[in-house]
Amino acid sequence: MKKRTRERIGLTALNVFFIAVCFVTLIPILYALSVSFSGTNSLLSSDFSFIPRDFTLDNYIAVFTGEDIMTWFGNSIVLAAATVAISLLVSVPAAYCFSRRRFPGRKLVLRWLVLLNSFPAILSMFAVYRLLQPMGLINHRLGLIIVYTGTMAVFSLWNMKGYFDTIPLDIEEAARIDGATDLQVVTRIVMPLAKPSVIVTALMVLIYVWNEYIYATTFMTGEANYTLAAGLYALQATEMSGSWPIFAAASIVVSLPVLIIFFLCQKHMTSGLTAGGVKG
Amino acid sequence: MTMKKRTKSILKSYLVSGPSLLLIALIVVFPILYTFFISLTNMSVYHWFDFTVIGLDNYWRALFVFDSGFLSALLATVLWTAVNMVIQLVIAFVLASLLNVKKLRLRKLYKTLLMFPWAMPGYVSILLWKTGMFNSEFGLLNQWMEALGHEAVRWLSTDVSAFICCTVVNLWLALPFMIMIMDGALQSIDSSYYESALLDGASWLERTRYITIPSIKPIIAPAVIITVFTTFKQFDVVYLLTQQMGARTGSNFHTILTYAYENAFVTNNYGYSSAISIIIFLLMLAFSARFKLAGEETP
Amino acid sequence: MKKLLSLLLAATMVFALSACGAQEVDTDSIVIWHDKEDAVAEVLQNYLNEALPELNITLEKKTSLTDSLKLVGNDPSSAPDMFIFAHDKIGVFAEMGILAPIEELLPEGELANYLEMTTEAATYKGTVYQLPLYFETLLFMYNRRYMTDDMVPSTTEELYSYMEANTGRDRYGFVEQHSTAYYSAAWIHGFGGEIISADGVPFPDADAVKEALRYHLKFVQLMPGETEYSTVNTLFLEGKADSTIGGPWMVPSARDAGIDLGIAPMPTVDETGEPLAPYSGVQGVHVLTFAAEDKPDSVKAVLEALCAPEVGIELALASGCAPARAECYDDESVANDELVQAMRSTAEIAVPMPNIPEMDVMWTVMSTLLTDVNLSGRDVDESFDSALSNAESLIANMQ
Repeated sequence: MKKRTRERIGLTALNVFFIAVCFVTLIPILYALSVSFSGTNSLLSSDFSFIPRDFTLDNYIAVFTGEDIMTWFGNSIVLAAATVAISLLVSVPAAYCFSRRRFPGRKLVLRWLVLLNSFPAILSMFAVYRLLQPMGLINHRLGLIIVYTGTMAVFSLWNMKGYFDTIPLDIEEAARIDGATDLQVVTRIVMPLAKPSVIVTALMVLIYVWNEYIYATTFMTGEANYTLAAGLYALQATEMSGSWPIFAAASIVVSLPVLIIFFLCQKHMTSGLTAGGVKG
Repeated sequence: MTMKKRTKSILKSYLVSGPSLLLIALIVVFPILYTFFISLTNMSVYHWFDFTVIGLDNYWRALFVFDSGFLSALLATVLWTAVNMVIQLVIAFVLASLLNVKKLRLRKLYKTLLMFPWAMPGYVSILLWKTGMFNSEFGLLNQWMEALGHEAVRWLSTDVSAFICCTVVNLWLALPFMIMIMDGALQSIDSSYYESALLDGASWLERTRYITIPSIKPIIAPAVIITVFTTFKQFDVVYLLTQQMGARTGSNFHTILTYAYENAFVTNNYGYSSAISIIIFLLMLAFSARFKLAGEETP
Repeated sequence: MKKLLSLLLAATMVFALSACGAQEVDTDSIVIWHDKEDAVAEVLQNYLNEALPELNITLEKKTSLTDSLKLVGNDPSSAPDMFIFAHDKIGVFAEMGILAPIEELLPEGELANYLEMTTEAATYKGTVYQLPLYFETLLFMYNRRYMTDDMVPSTTEELYSYMEANTGRDRYGFVEQHSTAYYSAAWIHGFGGEIISADGVPFPDADAVKEALRYHLKFVQLMPGETEYSTVNTLFLEGKADSTIGGPWMVPSARDAGIDLGIAPMPTVDETGEPLAPYSGVQGVHVLTFAAEDKPDSVKAVLEALCAPEVGIELALASGCAPARAECYDDESVANDELVQAMRSTAEIAVPMPNIPEMDVMWTVMSTLLTDVNLSGRDVDESFDSALSNAESLIANMQ
């Protein structure tokens, strides 16, 4: 009895703690939320409150009617889905290969893949252009997908390789003795066990594509080709005439899909290893 | 293994990882090589399309940018990276551990809410912080200061306070990712280790030190190393908060990249700027060669 | 590893080369990039569609237009044929070799019909590279609720005493983006100084610049410690600042906010008797070199159509742009537009932004200098000296 009371107090304290942490974290977001629901045309105001004074949905209506947001949304979805799919398709085999197989050059490649991250890519735009232009991929979605997949490839490879390393070899060997092919081992045994890591990788790629705007605005022309992040950037760049509450509303709208996906993914993010108890 | 079989096996390894390596070669390696190539040319506004190779001239000139200002920016960047990484790892570890407390029902909700900063494009978040929080006239922080009867503060105006504010924003932006990585890593630890440790009477600190940290280290290592580099190369947070043209705040806190930007990249001299990029790259390689990459030696 | 890399690169090259096919030139279609507000783009698009139905003209909005042009400027498959932008990048683009001289594409003598300031702005090293459409200058604006017409300062000292009397307790007599190069130029010009001379010498008259900085400092002390647009804009729009110096882009939001907006001539500097002379920005059409070569007829047709006075008049009415073409001001509705007229008269004193490539680095140098003096409280002479040497080394490093 005593133990249970203590546990309950502990849990309550923990909940209070997390509510506080979440609140502090969300202050800037709540700020944007309040601005997005307010009628006055300013991100700045000398008497701010978290509950908007003249509550209005006008800004959200303006976002959905004034801008071509559904087209941008569609573009973002297509880019994100394609990039995530291709990323996983190329990174899972590579990560598995680097985790399980031993071959000359492996260590060198692994080491350099990490070190490459230290290059300040601020001037890379020109090189990427020189790469895409001859292929006719400027102003073409495929160009962006290649850039995004390539940018995230190092992370994807390393992140999943790290996780694959923790999966004991015996499980696979058992399957191999039962006559499973390499492909079967990966799809039937490794993938389910590495699900959390695969999902984390996919989410990471998704969020990167979702929020990327520099390549999207440089290589794509015309408002019909914008992604959400690029469209939002354009809204913000024309600050001379821009409306802050609409911008705030648009920011919230852009973030929500990611949060929903994140929320839905969570149940798959618990480890197959501990849940399945397959460890021998 | 016979020679032939061995060659075949090697070939297969590269074939399987080929697509991924090809993409990396194109999007990550090629720009580095290209930047190096450009650094040997006289590509500038005056020779934008008709540039020629001029050798190492740009490197000689670039050395002049590495003056005392650069040195202090470099020191500031090292400090910045260290401070950010330590705080980030500690907070992420604590929060992720607490999120894994067994009976925490609302875990999913908390996790989702904590991910929010990550779900917004970076420039939006930075703008929100700059104008919504730190603005000296209207910012929330100053509205609270005034409500508490204090003077309004210009949060971003001095080097030290700008450093702290940038750190706060950087942590805010980076923590969701780190929490997620830590959380995933913690879940991969076999609970039976803890059970036996508990039977042996190990304290929380001992369990953390001898089980948790060694177990998650190889899993989080790549993410941590990549984050170290990202933090070192941080540009957006510092530039957009304090140095942006038309919105400077008076602080003189520079990372090497914002420093290089203001003292070289603005010249539109692409050859010269490329030389500086390459030098910074080599500098960072030299730094990273000093510490052995954890996670590289894995089973 | 090396072998692998070279193999990969070779594979890419093959792929790249095979994808590189012949491109046909469609001479009847013209793509124009711009980054203007929708109202302006709409006027131009509708006008061009009507005037030239036989051509297929598209105005495409492009964010970070100048950066993109630096990438694609000489690549017909990715670049536009023309673009609309302010004149201050002409030097950069002309040196890069992507701009076609505009005069030979226009009917002879056409440019004589434009305000002199605008064609002067469009000229780089003796060649005109832009067909001006409209221009913008900063204006002295005030909120009539607090500053009545008879209180409007005509000199800077009057402005200062107004500020002293009306600043404090969350109110400001006057606000501007004080530590921003674009805004401070007006003060420097008022003292006879320049940020950069026409031939690329930074701060040709050092004493004038220093004097302006010193004099301006006392005004800054009565202004907020932020220099960015949104703070200044909000203060004025919320009625917390009685007056400001701002661009025409502030006018629609001021009217929306219900401010009884007054526009007055720039105050003159007591010491020199010269007015605060702001920079002016001339927005106009530029033609890319390859377009002028590949489709001269279509390009000429578009340019000629854009010369019509109706374009300027419609732009003025639709979004308060001050037309670059002189005869537009004969139109009655344009003549009656207070905002447009105010810019027209400011154009007499306004200095076109320098369009030489060297100006690009001066924006950064100037904004460092201003923040050092105004916001970090550093010594004027010291800050100026370091700004000057910084400017010199940056300009030297442009080559």
